[in-house]
Amino acid sequence: MMVTLHLNGLKVSLEEGATLLDAAKFLGFPIPTLCHMEGLSPYGACRLCVVEIGEGENAKLVSSCTYPVQEGLKIRTASSRVLRARRMILELLLASCPQSRTIQDLASAHGIRIQRFRQEHEDCILCGRCVRMCEEQMMAKAIGFRGRGQARSIGTPFDIKSDVCRLCGGCMYICPACQLRCTYSEPERAVCGGCANLMSPCVEMENFDDLMCYMDPCVACEIHKD
Amino acid sequence: MYKLSSINELAEFRGRILREKEVQQDRPTLVICAGTGGQASGSNDVIRIIKRCILERGLQEKLNLRITGCQGFCEMDPFIVVHPGQHLYPKLRMEDVPRVIDAAMGGYVDGELIYKDASEQRGCHCQSDIPFFSKQTRTILGDNQKLDPIRIMEYLEQGGYAALEKALSNPDPEWIINEVKKSELRGRGGAGFPTGKKWELARAAGNGFQQKYIVCNADEGDPGAYMDRSLLEGNPHAIIEGMLIAGVAIGATRGFIYVRSEYPLAIKHTLIGLRQARDLGLLGMDILGTGIDFDIEIVRGAGAFVCGEETALISSIEGRMGEPRQRPPYPIERGLWGCPTCINNVETLANIPVIINRGGEGYAKVGVPGNRGTKIFSLVGKIRNTGLVEVPLGTKISEVVYGIGGGPVDKRKIKAVQTGGPSGGCIPASRFDLPIDYESLAEVGSIMGSGGMIVMDENTCMVDVAKYFMNFLKDESCGKCFTCRKGTQRMYEILDAITKGQAELEDLDLLEELALVVKDTTMCGLGHSAPNPVLSTLSYFREEYEQHIKNKKCNAFVCKELVGAPCQAACPLGTEAWRYVAHIARGEYEDAYQVIREANPFPSVCARVCHHPCEERCRAGTSGDSSVAIRALKRFITDRIDPSVYTPKRTAWKDGEPPLVAIVGSGPAGLTAAHCLSLRGYKVTVFEAECEPGGMLSCAIPSYRLPQEVIKKEIDSLLDENITIKCNTVLGRNLTVDGLFEDGYQAVLLALGAHKSRPLRLENEDAQGIYPSIEFLKSFNVEGRELAQGRVGIIGGGNSAIDAARTALRQRDVESVTILYRRTRDEMPAFLEEIEAADRDGIQINTLVAPTRIIAEGGRLKALELIRNELGDFDESGRRRPIPIAGTEHVIEIDTLIVAIGEDPGIDAIGADSLSQIETTRSNTVRVDSATLLTSRPGVFAAGDVVTGPNTVVDAIADGKRAATMIDRYIRGEEMAQPEEPQLPKVYLEPVQVEAEEAEAISRIVTRRAPVEPRKLDFTEVEVALSADEATCEARRCLRCDLDYTQPKEIETLAGAAISGGD
Repeated sequence: MMVTLHLNGLKVSLEEGATLLDAAKFLGFPIPTLCHMEGLSPYGACRLCVVEIGEGENAKLVSSCTYPVQEGLKIRTASSRVLRARRMILELLLASCPQSRTIQDLASAHGIRIQRFRQEHEDCILCGRCVRMCEEQMMAKAIGFRGRGQARSIGTPFDIKSDVCRLCGGCMYICPACQLRCTYSEPERAVCGGCANLMSPCVEMENFDDLMCYMDPCVACEIHKD
Repeated sequence: MYKLSSINELAEFRGRILREKEVQQDRPTLVICAGTGGQASGSNDVIRIIKRCILERGLQEKLNLRITGCQGFCEMDPFIVVHPGQHLYPKLRMEDVPRVIDAAMGGYVDGELIYKDASEQRGCHCQSDIPFFSKQTRTILGDNQKLDPIRIMEYLEQGGYAALEKALSNPDPEWIINEVKKSELRGRGGAGFPTGKKWELARAAGNGFQQKYIVCNADEGDPGAYMDRSLLEGNPHAIIEGMLIAGVAIGATRGFIYVRSEYPLAIKHTLIGLRQARDLGLLGMDILGTGIDFDIEIVRGAGAFVCGEETALISSIEGRMGEPRQRPPYPIERGLWGCPTCINNVETLANIPVIINRGGEGYAKVGVPGNRGTKIFSLVGKIRNTGLVEVPLGTKISEVVYGIGGGPVDKRKIKAVQTGGPSGGCIPASRFDLPIDYESLAEVGSIMGSGGMIVMDENTCMVDVAKYFMNFLKDESCGKCFTCRKGTQRMYEILDAITKGQAELEDLDLLEELALVVKDTTMCGLGHSAPNPVLSTLSYFREEYEQHIKNKKCNAFVCKELVGAPCQAACPLGTEAWRYVAHIARGEYEDAYQVIREANPFPSVCARVCHHPCEERCRAGTSGDSSVAIRALKRFITDRIDPSVYTPKRTAWKDGEPPLVAIVGSGPAGLTAAHCLSLRGYKVTVFEAECEPGGMLSCAIPSYRLPQEVIKKEIDSLLDENITIKCNTVLGRNLTVDGLFEDGYQAVLLALGAHKSRPLRLENEDAQGIYPSIEFLKSFNVEGRELAQGRVGIIGGGNSAIDAARTALRQRDVESVTILYRRTRDEMPAFLEEIEAADRDGIQINTLVAPTRIIAEGGRLKALELIRNELGDFDESGRRRPIPIAGTEHVIEIDTLIVAIGEDPGIDAIGADSLSQIETTRSNTVRVDSATLLTSRPGVFAAGDVVTGPNTVVDAIADGKRAATMIDRYIRGEEMAQPEEPQLPKVYLEPVQVEAEEAEAISRIVTRRAPVEPRKLDFTEVEVALSADEATCEARRCLRCDLDYTQPKEIETLAGAAISGGD
């Protein structure tokens, strides 16, 4: 059965069972995601993909990756309320996990230049991609969540090597947090701003010999081509 | 047990039980609460003694004992209600039990043990006379005291399972749903979804073939809430019956009760109840031959708060991690194992039998439109009657807090009530006229939740409350949603920084921004409501947050890092009370004097008339015992040590001629400022309107409290060559502010005090024999004129009313003195010790009266017409408003009337010319910038009562000290408003050894007073100083809170070495 809804004022019809994220993708509206991945079941942990549904007093934010399409639903993917929430989520992510390239890119795309919380250096944002990868694609169920609240973490049962783990590396492959960051010259800062100003690593090659540059295309190299 | 096999058999069986019950009823019965709360308070011991007494005396056939679940009046546990008379004996000890049994058997009331209402001290013989019970509507909870939860027969005796009989007799289950819809019952779990509608959806779900489930949500985990627990413990059959009816209505065949393992008694009683119901044929296959199958299982939760959320609860029952998931699909469509599941709260289900018995419309008569029926609240916190309270929805908060709860403990002021558990919000006392219903609570930023109600008074720090709940939530969030997990943790971090004085004002904006985003972006109800404690305290108590951040002060004395030693923090002067008390305990009296004098230029005055805020906050007092008598200890030192042991530090003015400062008024504020400025090298001139310096100290405080020679000695010790006093110089008459600047003064301090009594605004107020209290006191203290004669009436309830009354009583021609006050004694603003002293002097205090007419004859006062008041609603200050009762006017004959209904500085009388460019307020005081004490005119400062209105001596001294600092900064051109730092104890003083036995044996010293008869006639000082032994003993009672912050020198150096040395 087809369901018709209004997305940013445009009418769109989708199969029943599709999500709001599918609808937005269908129409080409960009929605940032982190815990979502094609091929894995929707989870709704990172909250980055929130969109606004409903009208007036009943308007609320829901995660588009888990919310099923409903007949006549009105959706806004980039209202000021959505953008404010996204920016705060990114700021929180930066405050916890500043070394992730994925998070840095998302933050810079949303114009986040500072984060105001106490800086932490965690290596996991508990998005659960690896847990779902292990269970749904690798059919291993070697890792899972433990604990709740602040004490929540991911690991094997009782933290001993799992018999069902085949060391496939799928969990690492899809992790959005463990890709190395661009440190630029101030490793302690969450957002280095290196990409934004022209003094990028490749310009001062002698100071940053082995660093990778993530700019594609690189503004600095373009300029210094010859 | 005999198994029933048809509806008719059930009807017959019930009929027989109800008939038998009537036969038994005349026997006396002891009812005792043995819920979890009762057991914790010792009801098991009481039960043991009762049983032993019954056996010893052979009363088995003459006296019944009923052990019930929680009855709600938990403050009074363990208590016994004796039937038939409903006599309630509260807080019983084991040795009281035989007396209660005697009274029950003898059919009389034990007047000593019977419950007494705290405010009136009269016995309430019958349970229904007790306001706590009489003001409630106990539809659900009331059954708890009528039955023993482990006996199904007693439930049947109360008409139990009648609703089931009715529901099964009707062939069409739609009828049940219709009744529930008509009743307008809304889910009692917190969200308030209409139960009838939920059942209708559940009935329609699953095409009629699928398995359906009923779940009873008893995962109650809010701190301070225990109504679901009490229902399951006290009346499990009501919930079983409710679930059965729900099962019949929606076509479910299995039910689960999800209850936390922390509720062992609830689990036990429910298991017993389920077994009994099964044995009787009320649960299982083919119930009563109707072909309906229904059975109930208990599932024990492991105690995760989030499992109260319905989707997490479903995961937990299914055996997975208790983690919410996206709704829709709602459990009503896809719940347990993908089948339609109807989840209802315990209290919702307990309401179902009532609805079926009374009919939906009958039930809907209680409550207000849209919010029908009653709701149980657990009323806890800083309130007199804690316990479970059941009231109709739509009842006002004030009725619950003050009417049923009995108001605050002691004389403290209730500040707010927190509803809805950790994710609820705080409602300030100013909104207590709000009706309790789902919409109104949501409107003020709180939620109904499951019904927790935590009352907070002025000793509760709202930042600390928000921090406490955030700490709970950051541990209890499931952690799935990033914003809920990190958001609660970050909010906690910011709140923690605020309570430690490490936050900036920008952090408040960040906190608010974050709270709003967390509210918006989380998946389940927990995350959605988690920011409520922060948002509601921020919107109603933002100034408390700002106090913590800007002034580094916690006015509730909770945040340890900001308070330090409470006695020191409470003193407006920051006197290190702990330090001089410690010196006294060690016998170092001169050191003690140094400490006192260092902070306070008027030590002997304060040792007599200070209202000792230090003692109110003393931890020995707030932790259950009585506070240390700090003022008496100060008096002991100041009486004994000569002021000359203290030499103040002086700094001479270095750059040229010392600047001139003018101070108008020589009261405590003015003289303190003069003294402090003189020590810094300024030349100060003090202008005084009266013929002697001292201000209110010498003209308003009677000498039986503060002898004139003490004041004089203290003032003389402050004067030096830098200070000139000019008496009989009045602002507005002899000098103007402009004139002072023309005379070369660089700064002016206005410290005029508040000398003008407010008038009654009645006709004939100018008649002879009527005096404003200040004028009356002044003419006696300064000029020695005795204005009072004959029968004296005093109007007012403040300190100056009492001073006037006690002074009048000591005058020659006075026959009697009566204080007339419009509210009751409890509301009098005067200090308690002063009221008690007036009592001892033999002054009559006539309360709940207000003057309406002054009757004069030939220009002379003859009589006063009064009207009686009654107490009405609670006003914002938490005091009940006096309301005149029409027709109660009566006349009393008096010869003198003293009006003491408050004072103001009388700024308007000074005239605008002499106060050019200085703004005043509507209450006739001078407006200043509270941070700098600067008025609207540069160079002119104001301090003391002229700014605050009538206030205490010690506040005026503190103001004077601050004014001196500000004037110094002003003249030197420094930044005036500098950030404040918390004053933490810095000096380590080795504590004296106090053995545990000694600490237990000694109690607060009672300061001796001059005997009443001789003292009544004269003005010798009433309070007598302590002896050295008494003082040492009292000083040793100090708990030495300062030791939390200081360390002996050796340890300090060791710690320092460890840090710098690294290893």
